[in-house]
Amino acid sequence: MHALEAKVLIFGIGVACASCAFAGDTSGTMRVGDMQFGNALDPRGWTPMLYPADPDGMSYLHAGMLRTPTGLPYRFPPAAADVKPLGKATDWTYSGVVELGFIHVGGGRNAEFFRQYADWKSGFALGLLALDFQNAKTGQYVELRGSRLSGDDQFYRLRAGQYGRYRVEAFYRDMPHTVSTNAYPLWNGVGTSDLTLPSPLIAGASTPGQVAAAHAGSSRRTIGLTRTREGIGIEGTVWRNWIGSASVTNEKRSGTRLWGGSMFFNYPFPDNGGVLETVRPIDFRTTDVNLSVRNVGRIWRFMATYTGSFFRNNQDHLNFESPFRLYNVVGTPQVADIKYGQFSLEPDNDYHNVRLDLSRELKGNGQFTVAAAYGTMRQNDALLPPTTCTGTGGIFIAPPVNYTFNCADWNTTNALSQKNANARIDTGLIDTRLTFRPTPTFGWHANLRWYREDNKTRYLAYNPITGQYGYISENGSQGSIVPGESGIFDPRNPLLHSANVTVRNVPYGYTDTLFELGGDWEVAPKQSLSATYTFDHNQPKYRERKRVDDQRIKLAWVARSVGGATIRASYEYASRTGDHYNYDPYKQFFSESLAGFVDPVTGIAAHTVDDMRKYDLSDRTENKARLILTYPWGDSTTLSATFYGSRDRYDTQIGRQNTSTTGATLQWDWQPTPATTMNVYLGAEGTRLGISNVADNESLIGSNIGQTNPSLGGPLYPYANQWWEFDRERNSNAGLSFSHDFGRVRADVSYNYSGSFGHVGYNYASLAALAYHGPNAAAAAGDSFPDNSYRSNSVDLGLSFRFTNQLGMRLFGRYETGSFTDFHYAGFDNTLDYDHRVYTDKGPQRHYSASLVGAMLNVKL
Amino acid sequence: MSTIVRLIVAASFAWMLPCAAADAPVKPLDLRRVETVHGDATAGTAKAAVCAACHGPAGVAIAPTFPNLAGQSATYVYIQLKEYKEGQRANPIMTGQAAGLSDADMRDLAAHYAALAPKAAGRPDASSRGAVLYLAGDPTLGVPPCQGCHGTAGRGPKPAFSSSPQPSWHSFPSLAGQSSLYVTQQLGDYRTGTRVGSSNASVMHGVTQNLSDADIAALSSYIESL
Repeated sequence: MHALEAKVLIFGIGVACASCAFAGDTSGTMRVGDMQFGNALDPRGWTPMLYPADPDGMSYLHAGMLRTPTGLPYRFPPAAADVKPLGKATDWTYSGVVELGFIHVGGGRNAEFFRQYADWKSGFALGLLALDFQNAKTGQYVELRGSRLSGDDQFYRLRAGQYGRYRVEAFYRDMPHTVSTNAYPLWNGVGTSDLTLPSPLIAGASTPGQVAAAHAGSSRRTIGLTRTREGIGIEGTVWRNWIGSASVTNEKRSGTRLWGGSMFFNYPFPDNGGVLETVRPIDFRTTDVNLSVRNVGRIWRFMATYTGSFFRNNQDHLNFESPFRLYNVVGTPQVADIKYGQFSLEPDNDYHNVRLDLSRELKGNGQFTVAAAYGTMRQNDALLPPTTCTGTGGIFIAPPVNYTFNCADWNTTNALSQKNANARIDTGLIDTRLTFRPTPTFGWHANLRWYREDNKTRYLAYNPITGQYGYISENGSQGSIVPGESGIFDPRNPLLHSANVTVRNVPYGYTDTLFELGGDWEVAPKQSLSATYTFDHNQPKYRERKRVDDQRIKLAWVARSVGGATIRASYEYASRTGDHYNYDPYKQFFSESLAGFVDPVTGIAAHTVDDMRKYDLSDRTENKARLILTYPWGDSTTLSATFYGSRDRYDTQIGRQNTSTTGATLQWDWQPTPATTMNVYLGAEGTRLGISNVADNESLIGSNIGQTNPSLGGPLYPYANQWWEFDRERNSNAGLSFSHDFGRVRADVSYNYSGSFGHVGYNYASLAALAYHGPNAAAAAGDSFPDNSYRSNSVDLGLSFRFTNQLGMRLFGRYETGSFTDFHYAGFDNTLDYDHRVYTDKGPQRHYSASLVGAMLNVKL
Repeated sequence: MSTIVRLIVAASFAWMLPCAAADAPVKPLDLRRVETVHGDATAGTAKAAVCAACHGPAGVAIAPTFPNLAGQSATYVYIQLKEYKEGQRANPIMTGQAAGLSDADMRDLAAHYAALAPKAAGRPDASSRGAVLYLAGDPTLGVPPCQGCHGTAGRGPKPAFSSSPQPSWHSFPSLAGQSSLYVTQQLGDYRTGTRVGSSNASVMHGVTQNLSDADIAALSSYIESL
């Protein structure tokens, strides 16, 4: 088919045509199918189908290339594919492309950033398989699309349907996500839910030296996961104007992830406790179900939607062996043998949401819409016992000072107040909107939205076997190092009747009511002003404030006639206030709220400093501004620039003080002919964050009535313990791409740069503000952490040869370099073991360079 | 046989003849940037004597085989003459007639016919299949409404002001009152690709792809009644 003919078919509304699949990939919605198909070899998923560009441009109706309303150019459309008849007595035609070849990866192929989302491997690869069948008479089509880099990096998609009637889609996709390629786990059993120590280490009986020696023999592993996603969906006319859709997608995530493993503090208790970086299994499955029916009439529009999401975790726990022996700090013989840790992993949970949308045209060029939704999230997994310890836990000092507990009373589900979670959060939404445009130059809208998140989960940590409350903290390790910190409250035991421990969950929730009123005026031809006022009234539950009001005014100016350029400018001012701030609304969730709790002689330590204002609740003023310029320079060039900034100030002495963001982008797009395109992009952004805080005077905890004083400047939070943090980040990126079609050969080159820099500075009132109080603390502290930085550069070159109309070859190569510095990983090149702290990940490679070359044969089917 | 009768007979059987341009393909005219055509209508009147033999002295055709030209877009008429002259459109009569025309002649003739009063409006049946196709199209078949480019009354488009790039509206013909025989012939030519000598013809090629013979007949009758 000649390009001219194919383009004409596009003009016909909804007529199936050879060029449709090649002209655009419009999966579009989550109602049916997946959002994006592509991989590192071809992020767009259909690049081989884009070339050559159609010399006739975009449309037989419009001269030249079109631009978006704001002046950005559309790309030249690809030339229509060569379609062939499927048979003699049929209207069906077909077209297709196969791109198959070999990739060779060299250099630092295991560099983390090189393979973060790509499973590059040397070997054969299927760049693209695209097969399209169309029937221009009936509007029916069938499309197959696939690509495969490896068994963990591939996608396949099948679509079929009839334009204007129905669409069916089925897909399968594997997407890799590499977390680390430089991990050295100490344990055996990585990938399972049970981590065991390698020989000759013995759980709870190994020294740091033995651990370091064993760890030195660990082999390097890659930590990461693969997302396998598949689904099927259908959308089509059910009856008259009624359109229905149904889809089911399933995503399985399998692999590993870096995780923790705490056996209580090690820093303040040298040669004691345990801080372990473990590896947990990832074995999730999420199934999403979407059902909808809608009716689009001339006056009324209606839509009903059901969304269901079902998460299943095949691993409900992570058990790990801790190598280190623990000692109690009072120096009495250790009666406990705590050597195992356990995490409860994410529970299975279900989500249901039903939503109704109704819209009606109104006289006076208006529209009224209302949406109502009800959702519920539930999980009722079987709960794990409070601990896995055996024997005796805790500390025995001398009769009657006995802080021990019998593990058998806690390592069973009979120690729980309920066997299942019975957790539930319900949500409700009512959203109404009124829009009018009484004249062509003036319009206004009003919006009223109500949303509630009602957490109905109630759990009381009560052990019916012992009649005690709370849970065994840190699997027994904490209470076996510090007397009385086992996490248990017992109103009958004088040793434990003043233990203030968490006994209930906090059922966080909120109700949010939002009102918005806005208008826009076309003050002159191609110039409009708009103003919007928003009042957001939030009522959180079980938080420090019961009411938070956020008022916002936004002004915007759009001009499309300033010397041919489009200017979009906006400014926002927002002010957040609220009612009285209660620095401790959590008493009811601690044992101090239970009958039988006895206030200790020295009182209960303040929950936090009363001048603390959490950043999501504190008073705040915000200023935001944005300026976007788009300048179409002739028919083939477009310059665009964006400048933006925001400034937030928080009205508090303790907590987040301020944040700011300033950024700019500059872009140049040039496509003088269908054969040539060039793009250049530059972007930079800087952010700052200021925090003020105060360290507590730990010497008072548990021993002095001064611990009850929450005031800044008081004995627990003296001014001398104040500290301030100043974060500064800078991100920059640049890109260049050039492509030219010489006829038989198309050449393309691209360059990408990405860089970031992070600086964490701080100040403090005195050494008392620091966590480390040693004699050389001041010298060691300085005024900042070492700077973090990340940079990567990559160059891509490609040559695509057209041997014949059916046969071609693409030769391509990539060279990528990068560097990375992060003080969190400092020293790990030498050892991953420090006292009772064991780390797994050495972090991304500090310098790397990797390359790949490939040759792909292109065959048109 | 009179000259007029010979012309009628020749034109009636012209579609049976091989396309003159078939052996030597001529590049289609790209009309997307075409400017509005102006000419000397008075001079055109003097040059239209021969044309009147088929298209009528007042621009209303003497037989349904021929198109009415009265009130037609000057740009459209000029383009058709140019296509006949250059070979993008073929007709045994018109090809010969246009061969000797200068560019000025074609502009003058176009201006002359554009200045004539169009044929009086008829009484279209708004409930007919032709009316539905003309006014609303048939989305299920991928047929766009004709009125989008030819105007609701078939007297040419009347686009609202827009600052975005616009099609060359002035190059689209008015259709009102054209004989159903002539319209049927032209739609058929578009559909088969016989008439594909310009970017506008390419548009029509797509538009007509899914029109059945019955739909073309219904549409032609409706257009004649406009």
